[in-house]
Amino acid sequence: MMTFIPPRLRKPAVYVLAGLLFAAAWLVQGGHLWFVSIMAVIGTAAGAVRLYRLGGTDTDEGARAGSRTDERQQLVSLRSRALACNLAAATSFLGLTAAIAVKAAWGWPFLVTFLITGYGYLLGLGNYGVAEEGTPDDEDAGSQTRPSVSS
Amino acid sequence: MRNRIREQRRQRGLSQAELAASLGVSRQTVISIESGRYMPSLPLAFTIARFFDLTVDKMFDPDDEEAGA
Repeated sequence: MMTFIPPRLRKPAVYVLAGLLFAAAWLVQGGHLWFVSIMAVIGTAAGAVRLYRLGGTDTDEGARAGSRTDERQQLVSLRSRALACNLAAATSFLGLTAAIAVKAAWGWPFLVTFLITGYGYLLGLGNYGVAEEGTPDDEDAGSQTRPSVSS
Repeated sequence: MRNRIREQRRQRGLSQAELAASLGVSRQTVISIESGRYMPSLPLAFTIARFFDLTVDKMFDPDDEEAGA
């Protein structure tokens, strides 16, 4: 689906979609805070315009916002996501531990987050190569040890 | 890892932006590779070496840990 959208519009489009969903949630909730949905729409529009303009700049952030990253920028983005996931896992573990210690009922979101990050890690290992050990060549099939490489 | 990208680029009178456009990467990535802060992938290393009509081992020197040319 995303391939039909010009690269520079992809991130703003996702941003708009997320913002509209957030605004819709406030609207569906009703009550006296319905006006938050209007503020969310205004904020989303402003953010999408800012993201689009950033996508036209000659910077690393501009490349990410404009969905035209090269291999280094993708690597930086990947490392940042990995760090974010590590922090989420560590924080959720600490939150869960604290909730258990004080016998609190608010611990389940930490448990869900911890399970999702853990499952995501295992899913990543399965998808990105750990499960694909491959078969050894005929000449390697009999050997149990790999000779050390002298430096 | 030391590399000769800056030296080769200057010999050919190319700007970092022109080299980046030729290699299909960003100007910031060329700057990072030249300064030794980023080590390119094998396909990009081959692309760079071919662009300058050199071999990869002539372009990149793994024995020299000092960054930059």
